[in-house]
Amino acid sequence: MNAAVEVILSTAFLAAVLRVATPYVLAALGGLIAERAGVSNIALEGSMLAAACAGALVSGYSGSTWLGALCGIAAGTLIALLLAVARLNLGADAIIAGIGLNLLASGATAFAVFALLDDKGGTTGLPSGTLPTIHIPLIEDIPVAGDILSGQNLVTYLALLSAPAVAWLLLRTKFGFHLRAVGEMPEAARSVGIRVRRIQFLALALSGALAGLAGIFLSMGYVSFFVRDMTAGRGFIALAAIFLGGLRPWGVFFAALGFGAAEALAVQLGNLDIPPQLVSAIPYAATLVALALNAWRRRSRSDPAASTTQQIAQ
Amino acid sequence: MRQQSDGDPPAVEAVALTKTYPNGVRAVRAVDLCVAVGEIRAVVGENGAGKSTLMKLLYGLEQPSSGQLRIGGAAQTLSDPSAAIALGVGMVHQNLMLVPSFTIAQNVVLGIEPGRGLRLDTKIAIERTARLSEESGLVVDPKARVDEVSVGMRQRAEILKALYRGARLLILDEPTAVLTPQETDDLFASVRRLRAGGMTVLFISHKLKEVQEVSDRVSVMRAGSLVGTVDTDQSTAESLAAMMVGRQISLTVVKPPARPGRITLSVRNVGYQPRGAGQALHDITFNVAAGEIVGLAGVEGNGQTELTEILAGLRQPTSGTIRVDGTQTVRLDVAGYRAAGIAHVSEDRLFNGVALDESIADNLIVDRHARSPIGARGVLRPRAIRAHAERLIREYAIRAPDPSAPVGALSGGNMQKVVVARELSSGPRLLVAAQLTRGVDIGAMHFMYERLIAARDDGAAVFLVSADLAELLSLADRLLVIKDGRLVARFDDLTGVSDTEVGRFMLGVQRHTDEQIRAVPPEPESATS
Amino acid sequence: MTDTMVELADRRDFVASRRRALAVDLSMALATILAALAVGFIVILAVGHDPLEAYRAMLTGPLQRSTRVGRWLEDATTLTLLGLSVAIPFRARQISLGAEGQLYAGALAAAVVAIFVPLPPVLAVLVPLLVAAVAGGAVGAIPGVLKARLAANEIVATLMLNAIVVRLYDYLLNNQLKQPDSGSVRSANVPAGSALTRLQDWFGVPLGRANLGLLLMLLTALALWLLITRTTLGYRIRMVGSNPDFARYGGIKVPRVIESSFIIGGAVAGLAGAHLLLGVYGRLEPGMAGGLAFEGIVVALLARNNPLVVVAAGFLYSYLRVGGDIMEQQTDVGTEIVVIIQAVIVLLVTARLLPDLLKRRLARKQMAR
Repeated sequence: MNAAVEVILSTAFLAAVLRVATPYVLAALGGLIAERAGVSNIALEGSMLAAACAGALVSGYSGSTWLGALCGIAAGTLIALLLAVARLNLGADAIIAGIGLNLLASGATAFAVFALLDDKGGTTGLPSGTLPTIHIPLIEDIPVAGDILSGQNLVTYLALLSAPAVAWLLLRTKFGFHLRAVGEMPEAARSVGIRVRRIQFLALALSGALAGLAGIFLSMGYVSFFVRDMTAGRGFIALAAIFLGGLRPWGVFFAALGFGAAEALAVQLGNLDIPPQLVSAIPYAATLVALALNAWRRRSRSDPAASTTQQIAQ
Repeated sequence: MRQQSDGDPPAVEAVALTKTYPNGVRAVRAVDLCVAVGEIRAVVGENGAGKSTLMKLLYGLEQPSSGQLRIGGAAQTLSDPSAAIALGVGMVHQNLMLVPSFTIAQNVVLGIEPGRGLRLDTKIAIERTARLSEESGLVVDPKARVDEVSVGMRQRAEILKALYRGARLLILDEPTAVLTPQETDDLFASVRRLRAGGMTVLFISHKLKEVQEVSDRVSVMRAGSLVGTVDTDQSTAESLAAMMVGRQISLTVVKPPARPGRITLSVRNVGYQPRGAGQALHDITFNVAAGEIVGLAGVEGNGQTELTEILAGLRQPTSGTIRVDGTQTVRLDVAGYRAAGIAHVSEDRLFNGVALDESIADNLIVDRHARSPIGARGVLRPRAIRAHAERLIREYAIRAPDPSAPVGALSGGNMQKVVVARELSSGPRLLVAAQLTRGVDIGAMHFMYERLIAARDDGAAVFLVSADLAELLSLADRLLVIKDGRLVARFDDLTGVSDTEVGRFMLGVQRHTDEQIRAVPPEPESATS
Repeated sequence: MTDTMVELADRRDFVASRRRALAVDLSMALATILAALAVGFIVILAVGHDPLEAYRAMLTGPLQRSTRVGRWLEDATTLTLLGLSVAIPFRARQISLGAEGQLYAGALAAAVVAIFVPLPPVLAVLVPLLVAAVAGGAVGAIPGVLKARLAANEIVATLMLNAIVVRLYDYLLNNQLKQPDSGSVRSANVPAGSALTRLQDWFGVPLGRANLGLLLMLLTALALWLLITRTTLGYRIRMVGSNPDFARYGGIKVPRVIESSFIIGGAVAGLAGAHLLLGVYGRLEPGMAGGLAFEGIVVALLARNNPLVVVAAGFLYSYLRVGGDIMEQQTDVGTEIVVIIQAVIVLLVTARLLPDLLKRRLARKQMAR
């Protein structure tokens, strides 16, 4: 038990939390933008996966890490735009379209890797780039905080910056104002000439870009390869973080950090001879409990006569 | 009345304007309309006549299938509301287009917010809204959240929205649907003031008496076509109604006197505290006897919704008791209420009165699907279901192709007939009816009235809530008035009671004493309390 | 064209329009499949392989040998059961993605009973099946209760529970249930008396691992169809799915209906797990279900949650899966192309739903005043 506590309070662990939480933070904040615009993005997973694959492949074949990163983000955005077209132009159901795109991303990425590299597992045979870690000059000298805050990957810093950036975007800009109006009452927005569909497209594109950034972190952050289905459900955890964070930027940020912490914890405890499967179940169990508690808290506050449909459809 | 001289172009003109939807419905058919500058024009018609669609065409919310639209004399194509707004057209919708969690100032400036670059400047928005409110005489609190202010203020905010954008033509869609008589007068005063400043006003209304009061001319629509336009002072409510329906109809209801029996519904000291938004109820006490119709009058939002839902079992009161023929109902769920003999025509049938995608037959059995003959021991009987549906369709003259047609394909009036058929056919002890004829055309309205009175004469106790005072005064045997969640008036005899008199109680200008409200009249049979 | 929809007062017109709509639906379904296959064709061509050869293998391969037909039947059984398991909650407007966890829970429970509890002949099959259904139903009940009583988001709840159950399964399989003397991670075999009879034993023709589970699946589909269309519970499920406020207003106990839909769905998914255990593998294997649970969701959506149509959709999907494996063995084209084809079908089908939705929404707006 003491060993566990020592582990948790170590700087290495806290640094790991930031690292592990990076994809969750990015994907969740991206998903939040879409959610607030009234178009839930269930295909964050597909965006992340497509980005991870595209990033590894392009940087490997072109030799340029930055080109790969850009293409990865573009791939993530593309998936989200496909979702936008399916939902907004073709009227598809959000869940079905999301599931379809996740399937498409899974199949297309695996197919591409197999077709190009004849490898069923991933791009390990292809040398692709990694994104740089950054050591911040003054901060790295601070005793404890320095080891945590400096020396992280570029994308991690972008993730940390994205929280205030998304908050500013949603709450202080005209675009965010229109977006929130569109999400809360599209008829009101439409009646004053706001282009509802355009805003929803943009919101989905932004969510895809952020999820794409999360994706390239996976395949180009600390490793330099893509493995089939390497997102492993992170896109869905990001969805959970959006709800747990109460649909507010900082809430979502901390919820995503929480998931990162739980996952990092699972890994660390695993090193201490506790069965890995049970340990890796901890973040999921924690989410389930948090979900139940959160719902119970909301329930005791709201009016039971409120629309059953609203209660059900969430 | 008109400020336009004969050389000026009309404020707005429609030439053979038509709108046909992809599913074949022709909502607006070759309408020719010409409104002069500074005119107050009313547009009336039954539900589904096309009035709302016509207004949407004038505002750019819909695009015409054919025909021409001229604003200020020049032909225009309005691809969306921003084009209409740029030409000086403003619209106040019946369902107010305000974002609930935003403040009034935020709603007023939505879409054209002040601020440099990307940023939104809230302070300037509040300042400008306050100034506009003062100049126009439309009182609002710019910093208040929309979901926390009264309906009247929300409507004023909507008008300010249009003024903020420089509207010269103001379109109002059923503006008085949710206002008291006095608030309606305030609105009309504002409209006249705006007109004096050169504004042209177009408004849709169901309420023929109001149309007569404020408009210069009236255009009548029927089944998508413009039937005619008359000067208001050359018309009467009856002549307008005749144009709307195409036949002479009487606007009064023939009602035999009530013969109330035992007390069926006994409500004692009912209180309700909503968790979150909603109106609280305080100390509500009243009776409804079998064989009488008790009406509840009040401006929408004063507790009627909460009270009717409590009476139907959809909400639980926080305190007090409710008895139906001796059965205590407060702790029961909805199934328990229905088993106790309570039927409920709900306020918003699209919300919970019907399941739009399901068949008429399935909609007609929701309260009795587990009982014989419809369903026994867990199994449904398709033949019984169909026979049941066919019987009710016949009895209530529901215009539908087949019992298996989805309810969503029916018109508003026929949909309401489905609801009424279901609720009345259960032979209820207590019928709670809210907004019985909302969105129902005149022909179906009279049918509902007849059925309601027939149910009363069969021994049901009827509790009728309506936003239409005229309807209440003609249907109810006794009347209660609710304000801010309390009963403030009681009329056991409605002869000679006018709607302005009731309006005073609705607004809180006057109120009866508690003794008057709670007085127990001498009963013909012993009460079962 | 008549003026308003309601003036279609003629019953004959209505019935004819219904029949027209059905014909349109069917032909659109066919067009969708062809279009998806066309997309796959182009993709294969684009990466420089021979699409004709690939498609020949994929589309005719499964029928060329009886063992392949058997493979198709066996795969379709599991897939269809999984599709049925989500179709019921979907019908009640509940987005349950929990089939995977419920399947493993069912398989686990059935294995424990079959391996460790001695049972007489017929019961040796029936009891594990029953236990599997109960276990699946219990796992389904958790998010069901959370949703019904607390309005907790069931998408997240079912996904989380899947992850937990799968890890529990892996843990037990690697520890308590592990077969000590074998090289790979697996459980002991279930006793022969518990196995679902292989169909080839009946028909004399080699049919791979296709087993009695097929019959079980067909009966389950029929039972569920009867449930939805002919029982009062099915009526309640349909009304809750169509308009929960209407259901509540009509006196239906909505929370109980929601819970029931999750439990029924979970039980059917548990049966799918039992099928894999008792019919296909004969023991517990890691990752037995593959990606089937997810594809079951797609099958249900495509079949618009109608149990009988789910069977057809399941067989179709399975055919493509088996065909894809054959294609990979015989040509250079990988099975992922099948996933792509399936994804395109899903996306095209949802686009197909647009005209109906639009029509209904417009009609509603028209009539709503």
